[in-house]
Amino acid sequence: MANIISNLNKAFDSRIRLGIMSVLMVNDSVDFNTLKELLELTDGNLASHIKALESLEYIQSSKQFIGRKPNTQYAITDEGRRSFQEHLNALEQLIR
Amino acid sequence: MQFKVLLFIFTPMEKQLEDIKAIREMMEKSSKFLSLSGLAGITAGITAIVGASFAYFYLLRYPGATDFNRFQEMIILLADAMLVLIISIGFALYFSWKKAKKKKLKFINKATLSTIYNLGIPLLTGGIFSLILLFRGNVEIIASNTLLFYGLGLVNASKYTFEEIHYLGITEIILGIAAAIFLYHGIIFWTIGFGVCHIVYGAIMYKKYDLK
Repeated sequence: MANIISNLNKAFDSRIRLGIMSVLMVNDSVDFNTLKELLELTDGNLASHIKALESLEYIQSSKQFIGRKPNTQYAITDEGRRSFQEHLNALEQLIR
Repeated sequence: MQFKVLLFIFTPMEKQLEDIKAIREMMEKSSKFLSLSGLAGITAGITAIVGASFAYFYLLRYPGATDFNRFQEMIILLADAMLVLIISIGFALYFSWKKAKKKKLKFINKATLSTIYNLGIPLLTGGIFSLILLFRGNVEIIASNTLLFYGLGLVNASKYTFEEIHYLGITEIILGIAAAIFLYHGIIFWTIGFGVCHIVYGAIMYKKYDLK
């Protein structure tokens, strides 16, 4: 049992990070504003969680311009997908 | 020691269940067109039955003898079909927009556009193909043709919305094939497919997703 608990990833302890990862698991890429609306967050709050996930290299961003407006797209990395899947498996095992 | 471990496991259990619920909700909300309303299906079904009844009782029962009449009939039939299509789409948009507002979902998102795009390609192809058949005089096969392309479109678009749409699509395809086999009873299968099936699936979806 203790072993399973240690499989839970501390990075996904926060509901917001869980939300970001969930959205990126099922979408190829999502922009900042869409994430903000989906998760009902403020700019600053979302940005800090994104930064944390980016520094873990679980998600990656790419900037592009739509007209003159900068638009940042976020996508999950292979490492992020693997870690989140492990976290999901651990969650499932725990509630079984 | 044993007790301590148990306590440690049981307290976060609630949180883990909530976490899994949140994950599932967020995955669905961000990737599926969830504002599609069951009422859209019900109204589309009723409109289709009215349209088909008009075609059946006023046109097909008394096939015109002269070429002039045939052409006139064709135009009226086409207008009837277009009216059914426009009214159905109008109601579908209206009810889905209302549902999105009620459930605080964004009406136009990536999933909505994916649904429309993936339904649209087979639907537009089928529509153009039906027009060609109509003007070539192959009127009998049109009912089957519209059912088949519509069914394929629904199956294609269903991965972006509710799973019931997948089964509705399969039902339409089966009816389309049946309509091709029983060629001269096409309008009956058309009425079942676009009328009855829409009402039945619409009611199921309304009860399952909209009333909550």
